[in-house]
This record gives sequence, structure tokens and C-alpha cells, in this order.
Amino acid sequence: MLDKFLKSPIFKDKKTWDAVGNASVIGLHLVSGVLVGLFIGYWLDVWLGTKPWLLLLFLLFGIAAGFRNIYLEAKKFQEENTTTNHDDQG
Amino acid sequence: MAGGGLPHPLLLVVEGFHSVGLNVPDTVVNAWVVMGIMIVIGSMATRKLAMVPGGMQNFFEFLVGGLESFVVANIGEKGRKVFPFLCGLFVFILIGNLIGFVPGFDAPTANINTNAAMALTVFIYYNFWGLKLWGPGYIKHFLGPFWWLIPLMLPVELISHLARPLSLTLRLFGNVRGGEIVLVLLFALAPVVSTFPMYFMFILAKTIQAFVFFMLSMIYLKGSLEHAH
Repeated sequence: MLDKFLKSPIFKDKKTWDAVGNASVIGLHLVSGVLVGLFIGYWLDVWLGTKPWLLLLFLLFGIAAGFRNIYLEAKKFQEENTTTNHDDQG
Repeated sequence: MAGGGLPHPLLLVVEGFHSVGLNVPDTVVNAWVVMGIMIVIGSMATRKLAMVPGGMQNFFEFLVGGLESFVVANIGEKGRKVFPFLCGLFVFILIGNLIGFVPGFDAPTANINTNAAMALTVFIYYNFWGLKLWGPGYIKHFLGPFWWLIPLMLPVELISHLARPLSLTLRLFGNVRGGEIVLVLLFALAPVVSTFPMYFMFILAKTIQAFVFFMLSMIYLKGSLEHAH
């Protein structure tokens, strides 16, 4: 019975599952960069007494980091697509 | 009761620990349960190793073999060194997620502390590998492609690296805990009829979450194992 289960078509569809995994990652990657940037900026402001300049600066860095994460994700998608296309041709 | 405040009927092992008077946090007890299950299943699978695998051994060869080929296809041959860590993480999270569905048990991953511990372990582990492989040159991973971009790229890279454990923690916590809350609420509205189909959906979702955690750890390790570019 286990053998049958392991050979069932759900496991054949690996590309779809990989894509589901990849897609579910994007949202938090965008947000977490911003949150960490904000936190570092706030903390540095409290520490150095430079309210509110470092918070703004690091918020911008955080936003940049968030979008950079998205850019890297997109690049990864593209690489996976090109490799699978090569597999199909070969 | 436990589950971080969600009404749970009766948590066998947690109650057992309380009745003996051991004041271990519930999450830790739940994580120990998962560890115990992993040890028992692991020893059961490897006790009678056969050339033609059957039963438990067959399943684990499918699981571990599939994951290993996935890791090697993504990282390359270097991936075999870090594979035991990744595979252990995956199996732990998978069992931890799914045990939340078993009456009398609770998911250790439904508590943010377990997830934060795992995410920080991943963070330290991939930085450890980066430092071990590249030494001081590991800093090049943080500097971006051009030297004149360093003032911009260094803080951005540092923030995006620090954001990784945060997003790992929150994603797993949110999905597992959210699933449990939905089940509890639906059970209050319409017992069994509404929760039964949701069980299948959450089994699927939590398996995917375990895989996502594993995949992201793999990608982070890949980033520190390969050359900076």
C-alpha cells in the first residue's frame, strides 16, 4: 500500500510543488527586510540620540533590501525556468 | 490549555510532565516528543537493513534519497556535506507540524520560540560555513558587484541577511499557528463537519511549509558555499 502511495501522481508533479514553495516565500521576504531596517534604525536612534534621521535612513535601506530580496527571487525563478526548458529540449 | 493559550482538550505528555512536577516549558516538551518520535522511527528503519528495501526502509530511502538528489542538484557536490543538517531540519519540522493534528499532542512549531531557535541555528550555520570556506574573504559576499556601490550595498546586504531568520521564523509560526486557530474556531462553529476537510488542506499546507523552510535553508547555504559574484 505504501508503494502505491509513493508512486501516486501527486509526487510526480514536482515542478508544481517547487513553484508553490517558491511563490509562498515572496511576501514575507519583502516585509521582513523593511522590518529589520526599521528596527535597526530605531535602535540606533535611541542609542545615539539622533532622532529621527537614522530611522529614516535605515528604513530606506530596509526597503531597498526587501526589493533586492524580490529581485533575487525573480532571478531564481528565471534560472529554474531556463534549466527546465533545457531539460525539455534535451 | 497549552498551544500557547489555544483550548486543547488534553496534552498527554505535557500533562504527564506537570503531574511529575517537572517545570519544563510546554514547547520544549513538545519538541522532545518530536525528537523521541524521530529517534524511534529512525532506529526502526535502520534496524533491519535489506538490499531490497521494504516498509519503513523503503519510505525513508524515498524521502532521504529524494531530498539528497534535490540538494545536490541545487548546491552541487558540496551539498552532501550540509545535507544531514537540512534533512534533519525537514523531518523535524514535518513531524512537528503534523503532530499538531494528533489528539493529545501539540505542534512545537506552533510556538514562536521553537521556530526562532531553528531559524537562528540556520543563520549561524550558513555563516559558519561561509567563514570556514572563505575566511576573511567572506565579506565579499556582502559587498555587491562594484566597489563604488559598497556604501549602499553593505547595509542593504546586512539588513537582508538579518531579515532571513525573521522571515523564516514568522512564516512557519504564522502558518502552523494560523492553521491551529482556524481549526479551533471551525470546531467551535460546526464540529467535525467543517474541520474534517480542513485537516487535509492543512496537512498539505504544513508539508509545504516544512519544505519551504528546508528549501530556504538550502538556498542560504548555497549562497555562502559558492563564490561571491
